[in-house]
Amino acid sequence: MSSRRVGDLALFMPGMGWLAVFFVVPLIMIFVVSLGSRDAYGGVVLDRLSFDNYLRALAPAFLPTALNSVKYATATTILAILVSYPIAYWISRYGGRHKVLLLVLVMLPFWTSWVIRTYAWMIILRDNGVINGILGGLGLTSEPIMLLNTDLAVILGMTYGFLPFAILPLYVAIDRVDEAVVAAARDLYSSGRGAFLHVTLPLTMPGVIAAAILTFIPAIGDFVTPDLLGGAQTITIAKVIQTLFLTDKNWAYGAALGFMLMVVTVVVTVGTLRVLRREVIG
Amino acid sequence: MSRPRRDGAPDMEGALARYLIERRMSRRQVLGRMATLGAAAAVGSVAAACTTGATAEPEPSGASAAPSGSPAPTPQPTPESELYVYNYADYIGEDTIPSFEEKYGIKVTYDFFDTYETMTAKIATGDSGYDVTFATGVDVPGFLARELVQPLDLSQIPNVVNLAPEWQDPAYDPGNQHSMPYMWWTTGYGYDTEKIPEELTSWAALWDSRWKGKMAMLDDYRETFAVALIRLGYSINTTSDSELDEALALLQEQKPLLRKYTADDIGDLSSGDVWLCHAWGADVSQAATERESLAYVIPEEGGIRGSDAMVLLANAPHPIAAHLFINYMLDAEVSAANTNYIYYMGPNEAAKAYIDPAILEDPTLNPDKAAIDKLQEILDLGPDLEKYQTRWTTLRAGA
Repeated sequence: MSSRRVGDLALFMPGMGWLAVFFVVPLIMIFVVSLGSRDAYGGVVLDRLSFDNYLRALAPAFLPTALNSVKYATATTILAILVSYPIAYWISRYGGRHKVLLLVLVMLPFWTSWVIRTYAWMIILRDNGVINGILGGLGLTSEPIMLLNTDLAVILGMTYGFLPFAILPLYVAIDRVDEAVVAAARDLYSSGRGAFLHVTLPLTMPGVIAAAILTFIPAIGDFVTPDLLGGAQTITIAKVIQTLFLTDKNWAYGAALGFMLMVVTVVVTVGTLRVLRREVIG
Repeated sequence: MSRPRRDGAPDMEGALARYLIERRMSRRQVLGRMATLGAAAAVGSVAAACTTGATAEPEPSGASAAPSGSPAPTPQPTPESELYVYNYADYIGEDTIPSFEEKYGIKVTYDFFDTYETMTAKIATGDSGYDVTFATGVDVPGFLARELVQPLDLSQIPNVVNLAPEWQDPAYDPGNQHSMPYMWWTTGYGYDTEKIPEELTSWAALWDSRWKGKMAMLDDYRETFAVALIRLGYSINTTSDSELDEALALLQEQKPLLRKYTADDIGDLSSGDVWLCHAWGADVSQAATERESLAYVIPEEGGIRGSDAMVLLANAPHPIAAHLFINYMLDAEVSAANTNYIYYMGPNEAAKAYIDPAILEDPTLNPDKAAIDKLQEILDLGPDLEKYQTRWTTLRAGA
C-alpha cells in the first residue's frame, strides 16, 4: 500500500516540478516586479516595494479598455461555440472512418504562422480586399465598406483563430455520448430536437464549458489580433500591458496590470465554472 | 522598413517581423508575394504561398554593386570569418550584404528586429551575440552611458572622409567616436492625391473630419505627440506638464477620426485603406512604388527629422569584421545603392554622384538646407520620457 503511494508520488513529482519551475516561479517573479518601480532607463527597481502600481491600475481610464477586452472575449467565445458545435457534432456522428482526417484538417491551420493567417484576414477585409472586391464587382456597393480595423474584424479574426480550441473539447464530449441514450429518447417518443435539447446537449455540457474556458482565456489575453485587425478605437487591456512593457519600459506597472488581469480571469472562470456545475451537471 | 519605432510600439510590423526573423525574408518579399496572389485565390493560397516563399532566402545576386570610390582600409589584423548584423527589415540595399560577403569572404548573419524596443531590450543584456546594430542618433549617448557600445577605431574606417561635414561631427556623438551615421529621415504625412484632390500643406489636415476613418497616425508616441506639440507651437521635446496635457487633449480630439494608429505606414498607404497618414518620408516613397498617386508633405508648420547610426556593440564577438562592414557601408557606391533601394538619404556626400537623380531632386526625400533647418529633432529626454509614455497610454486606452 505505502509503496504504491510512493510510486504514485514519484509519478506526480516531475509534473509538479515542471509546474513549480515554469509556472509558479515566474508567477512569483511577476508579482515581485509588480511591487517595484521603474528607473530612468526602464529597468526595474525593487528597493521600495509598494502596491502603488495596483492603485494606478485601478484608474478609471482603463475601464473602457477592460470592457473592450471582455466584450471581444465574450463575443468570440459565444461565436466560437456556436460555430464549433455543429462542426464537432458532424465529425463525431457522420465522420465515419474519416474522423481522424477531419480532426487533422481542423488542426491544419496551426501549421502556418498565426501572424500570416491574420495577415490573410487583412487581405480579405481591407478596403480593396477580397470581400469589397466581390461586393463592388457585383455592383452591390459603390464605395468599399470599412471592414478592417473594426470591432467586427477583431471578433471575426479571434473566432477564426480560437475555433480549434472549441472544436476539440466539443468533439470529445459529443463523441462520448452513447448513441443508445439518444435512441432511447427517440423510443420514448422524443422528437429529434427534443432528444438533442434534453439528452445530447446536457450530456455534452462539460465539453461546452471546457470549450468556453479554452476560448475565453486566450481571447482575453490576445493582443495580436486586436492590434492587426483592430483600429484606433479597439484597444484591449492586453495591448495596454504590452505597451507598458515595450514602449513605456515600465515593467512594474505592466506586471501589476497583468497580475490583475490574471486574477480577474481566474476568479471569473472559477466562479462561472461553479455556477455552471451546479446548474448543469448538478 | 517601416521606420524606426523610436520608442513607439509596433505591432502589425512587429508581428510580421517576428515571422520574418524566423524565415529571414524581408517584408517586401512577403508582401510582394501576397500581392501577386489573385484576389479570389487569395483565401485559399495565402498560407501555402507564404510557406513556399519562406524557403527562398534573399538570393545573392551576381550583379552586385562593386564597392569603389574610396581607399581600402589600411591593412590590419585578419578579420574574423563571421559577422552578426542586426537591423530593421527593408532598410538596406538589395545586394549590399551579398556583395560584402563576396568581397571579404566573411559570412554575414543579417537579422531583422521587429521593433526598436526589441533591439534595445536584446542588446541591453550585453551578450546579444550581434556585432553591429542601428541606433537612432539621439540614443547614442544613452547607449554609451549604459556601456552598450564601444568606441570605433577610426583608423580602420577610412571611408569616413565620404561623410558630409555636418555628419563628421554630429551633436549626438562628437567626432563619430562611437557611431557612424547611416541614414536620416523626415516625418510628415503622405496622402492619396486621387482621393483627396486638394493640396494639403498643414498638419491640421490630420484633424479634418472630412477624412474621418481614412486617416492614421503613427503608433509611435514621440512622433505622434510631436505633431500635436508642433500644432500648439511648443517644442517637440518639451517636458512641461501643462503643454503635454494640451497636446494630449488635442490628440484625444483627433482619435475618433482615426482609422488606426499604424505601425505599417507603407502598407496602409499602398493598400488604400488610409488616404492620409502620418508617415516617414522615405516610407511614402516606398509606398508610392505601388500606388503612384501618393504624395508626401513636410507640413508648413515644420516637421521632424532624425537619423540612424551604426554602432559597434560592447561585447561584439567580431570587432574587426565589424569595422570592415562599417567602412564598407560608408563606401560611396554602397551607400548610394542603399539609398536607391530604400529611398532614405544618407549622410554620404561622395555617394551623391551615384544616387538616382530622381531621388536627389525630390525635395521630399532630399530637402534643402533651408527646409532641414526648419525641422525639429526628437531628443532623448531620459526620465522625463515617462511624461509622454503615461499620456500615450491614457490616449490609447481611453474611450
